[in-house]
Amino acid sequence: MYGKKASELVKEIASSEKGQLTPFSSDLFDEVIEECKQHYHELECLIRRMEDQGLNVETAKNEDHYGALIHHLSLVRNKRCLMAYLYNRAEILRTLMWKVGSVIPEEIKEKLSYSEKEYITKHSSSLKKYMSSVELDLEVDMVPPKDPYIKVRVLDDLGGDILLSDDKKANFTRHSMHFLKRTDAEQLISQGKMEELKD
Amino acid sequence: MANYYDIDDILAEEELVSVVFQKGANGVGIDPSAEAYSVEPGSKVKLPFWLAYELHARQVVTMKLPACFNQQTRLELGADGKAVDLRSRCLYFYEFGCKIAPLVGDRDMGSFLLSAFRNRYQEVLAKAHSAAYTAASKLLTLLTKEEINLYEAAQSSMAAFKKWRMGGPRLQRASVLGRKRKSTD
Repeated sequence: MYGKKASELVKEIASSEKGQLTPFSSDLFDEVIEECKQHYHELECLIRRMEDQGLNVETAKNEDHYGALIHHLSLVRNKRCLMAYLYNRAEILRTLMWKVGSVIPEEIKEKLSYSEKEYITKHSSSLKKYMSSVELDLEVDMVPPKDPYIKVRVLDDLGGDILLSDDKKANFTRHSMHFLKRTDAEQLISQGKMEELKD
Repeated sequence: MANYYDIDDILAEEELVSVVFQKGANGVGIDPSAEAYSVEPGSKVKLPFWLAYELHARQVVTMKLPACFNQQTRLELGADGKAVDLRSRCLYFYEFGCKIAPLVGDRDMGSFLLSAFRNRYQEVLAKAHSAAYTAASKLLTLLTKEEINLYEAAQSSMAAFKKWRMGGPRLQRASVLGRKRKSTD
């Protein structure tokens, strides 16, 4: 049936857990595009046949017309499915970037297509440009903190190379605890490298 | 029209409808029983709703009421709406019903869908707040997509309320990274 493959592509998004990315199915994606080309080809053939018979393509309603219509509708449908697939993935990516910043973790990067990676780079660079033009860091937590400092535990060995905002370096070995500026810690927590400690 | 990129809307339109072609169409392979690569007038075909809808608007096909809205389903839903397995009949029961109602000329469809939803809604919310996981999984196999969304919304609001009352950490690992913690050894 026409549009079946495209709907499988959309189902993939629907069946994955909300807000989670699945690997980009480039095979299925290409198959749908191939199907579109086929539809276009058959559409053209039918239209040409009508022209050869000397019919007015816009007003004649014969069997070729309805055949062409079905191909046209299938094309539009496939387009909608492809667009929705890309759009919904891009939306997940944008939410991710608000949370973890422009550095996308490796395990997510593996799931992306080439153009999605390019999208991230360009999106974050325009975001940075905007933030520097309004002189405001928009990536920090929306709720104003009660205390500018926060107690954290390191979950991942980060080494001693992380530069904090007061130009000091701290040695973040695994399981060590630190008292940091909130702004320094926020991104590392959303990346899953630290956790907030409650006293 | 719903959002162009809406996944659920797209999938609801993928539901099959049986139609009868009033006019023929050449050069298409949508009738599996036809020998030629075309559709004859009068042939009965199952088409996805997105195609049937547009063809119906141009009087190429006539539509039949899909099986999931037949008399038997109506009787079952009228008797005990909560126990009916709508998921296997049609995952997008309500959305699909709303889309198809004006096309098949069924005047009772609107009120039927509303009463079915009302009966089941109460059960969904009650279970979402109270039921243990094992009891809930049985219920979840009966629900349509819309009802599952409601169920999850109810649960997450409950969880958020509990978290607010107990006071948890505000900053957390981004949920998109998955639940499992990567082993670092």
